[in-house]
Amino acid sequence: MEQKINHQDVFFSVEDLKVEYTSGGEAIHAVNGVSFQLPKGSTIGLVGETGAGKTSIAKAIMRILPDHATRSVEGKIYFDGQELLSLPENDMRKYRGKSISMIFQDPMTALNPVKTVVAQIAEGIHLHQKLSKHDAIKAAIKMLETVGISEDRAYEYPHQFSGGMKQRVVIAIALACNPQLLIADEPTTALDVTIQAQVLDLMKNLQKETGTAMILITHDLGVVADVCESVAVVYAGKIVEYGSKEDIFDHASHPYTIGLFGALPDLSKDVARLSPVEGLPPDPSNLPEGCSFAPRCPHATPECSKAPIPMTELRPGHQVRCIRCKELCKNISGERGSK
Amino acid sequence: MFGLFFIIVLFILSFISPFICRYDYEEIVMKSRFALPSLEHLLGCDEVGRDILSRILYGAKFTLSIGILSTAFSCVFGIILGAISGYFGGIVDTLIMRILDIFQAFPNILLAIAISTVLGKGFDKVIYAIGISGIPAFARMMRANILTIRDSEYIEAASSINCTTFRIITRHVIPNAIAPLIVQVAMGIASAALAASGLSFLGFGVQAPTPEWGAMLASARGYMRDYPHMVIIPGIFIMLTVLSFNLVGDAIRDALDPKLRD
Amino acid sequence: MSRYIIKRLLQMIPILIIVAILIFTLMYFVPGDPVQIILGDNATPEQIAETEAQLGLDQPYIIRLGKYLAGICHLDFGTSYMKGTPVGADLLERFPNTLILSSLSILFTIVIGIPLGIQCAMHANKLTDKILMFLTMLGNSMPGFWLGLLLVLLFSVKLNWLPSNGADGLEYFILPVVANSVGSLADITRQTRSSMLEVIRSDYVVTARSKGLPENEVIWKHALPNALIPIITLCGSRFGMMLGGTVIIESVFTIPGIGTYLVNGINSRDYPIVQGSIIYIAFIFAIIMLITDLIYAYVDPRIKAQYVGGAAKKRKVKVSEN
Repeated sequence: MEQKINHQDVFFSVEDLKVEYTSGGEAIHAVNGVSFQLPKGSTIGLVGETGAGKTSIAKAIMRILPDHATRSVEGKIYFDGQELLSLPENDMRKYRGKSISMIFQDPMTALNPVKTVVAQIAEGIHLHQKLSKHDAIKAAIKMLETVGISEDRAYEYPHQFSGGMKQRVVIAIALACNPQLLIADEPTTALDVTIQAQVLDLMKNLQKETGTAMILITHDLGVVADVCESVAVVYAGKIVEYGSKEDIFDHASHPYTIGLFGALPDLSKDVARLSPVEGLPPDPSNLPEGCSFAPRCPHATPECSKAPIPMTELRPGHQVRCIRCKELCKNISGERGSK
Repeated sequence: MFGLFFIIVLFILSFISPFICRYDYEEIVMKSRFALPSLEHLLGCDEVGRDILSRILYGAKFTLSIGILSTAFSCVFGIILGAISGYFGGIVDTLIMRILDIFQAFPNILLAIAISTVLGKGFDKVIYAIGISGIPAFARMMRANILTIRDSEYIEAASSINCTTFRIITRHVIPNAIAPLIVQVAMGIASAALAASGLSFLGFGVQAPTPEWGAMLASARGYMRDYPHMVIIPGIFIMLTVLSFNLVGDAIRDALDPKLRD
Repeated sequence: MSRYIIKRLLQMIPILIIVAILIFTLMYFVPGDPVQIILGDNATPEQIAETEAQLGLDQPYIIRLGKYLAGICHLDFGTSYMKGTPVGADLLERFPNTLILSSLSILFTIVIGIPLGIQCAMHANKLTDKILMFLTMLGNSMPGFWLGLLLVLLFSVKLNWLPSNGADGLEYFILPVVANSVGSLADITRQTRSSMLEVIRSDYVVTARSKGLPENEVIWKHALPNALIPIITLCGSRFGMMLGGTVIIESVFTIPGIGTYLVNGINSRDYPIVQGSIIYIAFIFAIIMLITDLIYAYVDPRIKAQYVGGAAKKRKVKVSEN
């Protein structure tokens, strides 16, 4: 009972989410028990390598995982006190696009090539806000203007737009019904660097105006620093480190997180070589017994591979999935101190 | 698998039929006219008392060989034209494609009928008629494949290390275009067999006492009201044969294209 | 757009002329003397010479060809050797039957085949899909004329529900349409299934779903329009094939259309009829192909942009793509 009240407080929370795919009869463990929370209007960043299961988390929240390949989805997702995974499809549809919406990774393929952009935006408005077709079109044009596309291009088709413009349209579609939660799946990855900043600014501003909470999925730590309040580092379908932006950026404690930062170029220091995280992520159909990062971890001990690693709370709100994190932390701060 | 099995069995039976069948395919026995299927005549007899089973098995030879030979004909000429057209491009390409356009200005079966009108009737003529009408499809497919392959990077890589044109065509282009071709061949045999039965049914193909299945249907048609077995049986064999080739084609396609599997 | 249509219509002219030349030449070289057939075996050489002169058959090839082509330009396809009636008028009189048969067939094919294909795609690899796929394979392997005969056996002979020959009303077309469509129906169903399968997993369909649209709308409004191009291509070529297939179906059901006209012409070596029918069908076929291309433009704005092809438009597209 207590827990339930808790969920109503928290606005949005994911609890022990597990997603399994199937491919050629083999089970693929894409998401293995992910939990995080999100207060109203704030932003969390899900950071990790390609294939870490970030997009699967997003699609599981929207419940748009591909039917044919998905074997099972377990766990609980609470949105405004309502559990989503157990909702009948018909009721879930009322959330999709209205209360929760999503920006997709690749604007080149996310838009329907045979429909005008304005029609693609108006569709959701017509559906959820019960406006007439005509009024929905008007609202859609307004939405387009909000994202910086003028009215005279509204009736054009996606192929007449550039990548950045398309992503603006995708954003317009996602924000058309003033969602309370926006899931942005690598919204800038497919764009040119110069356009990335524009799109990111646009999203930030719109988010500020509308007070939408956001889950930002990215592998770009710069974007996270720019936009997010809290960060979850995802590795092999698990959150390995979770905390506020300051926790993660200033006190990174999981060897993987530290590795990620090590792979970033630092302009203030004169380093001859970047230090990438050695090795490859584990095969999701055959995950290691204990810590899934152990095979790549420079600090791994035999102990690490024995049993699943629990989350350790380093300080309030800052959790790390590493049994050696406390001693490592000391070492690292020691190193830092000695420099 | 059923497809391959059926084709092989039919093939063998059509050759050994004279030795295993109790009746000769052209032996006329007036007293058993229109006999219904029985132990004596497993599939019954036709209007002059010939055993239908013997005729069907003997006739399999025609359907199979028309299908295979005419497809081989279209395939060889189609590949040559398509490969030339696709690889060299330019004016050669335009010329070949325009000629094919003209051939494709008719529905296939009509082209076959027109050609067989000119060539006359008979087994070999049917092969040419159907073979010629099948060329454009093969040529176009080959050309399209070659165009995609020609522009791909591994061809660029090959020519960058000074491969000769001939070597590029034989070692790189054709092997990569071959997979869709095999599928097209299997499907082509199926539709050629179907077309052949149609031509013979109309009386433009293999002619009636010869037990070609389409021709058998044509002559059985007049008696169909009273003796439906004479119409039903040859049709079923046409269908099973065509089905077998289609199944084989499908199986090959699925095996070659992992995208279609899940 | 209209400029594109005119351009295409103009392009058709040389092809049709070459088709006419080709057919005329082929018929010229066909073995067998039509005069002999017209007059019978007992004709005297004088009679034969007279009839030849009458029909203009004594003139050299090139002059006959020229006359024939000139005639076609005035829609004059010559006169039948046997009946002495103008072929053009005969064709016009018979064409409606062929058109009704083939249009109803393609309509039947589309109306049944596309929804079936969609069902298969939505339930891919489930039992319904597997059964339907097997049935389509069977349909694809069945000679249409044979199915026609079976239908006659069942519905005309046994049940006496439907007429088995002639064309005196719509009910006369029911069996021929089913027989004529079976192969195409199977093909369209399979094509719809496979192109829907490709589209159904694409990102924009996920986008549509993520807007909260009901699954029906996702399928019919978002997925299907994108899957349509190969389906339309197939419908076009299948329509053409049906036009040819009517040759056989018409003779099964003795429908007085262009198909039976052609077959009779061939059997009686009445070459003007053969030439006329084939050129006529080639013409209709070309029109169908043009219509198919126009439907592409209607369905896919990207193709339309190519057709409209105004220089300004093209530039604009390029700029925004960069």
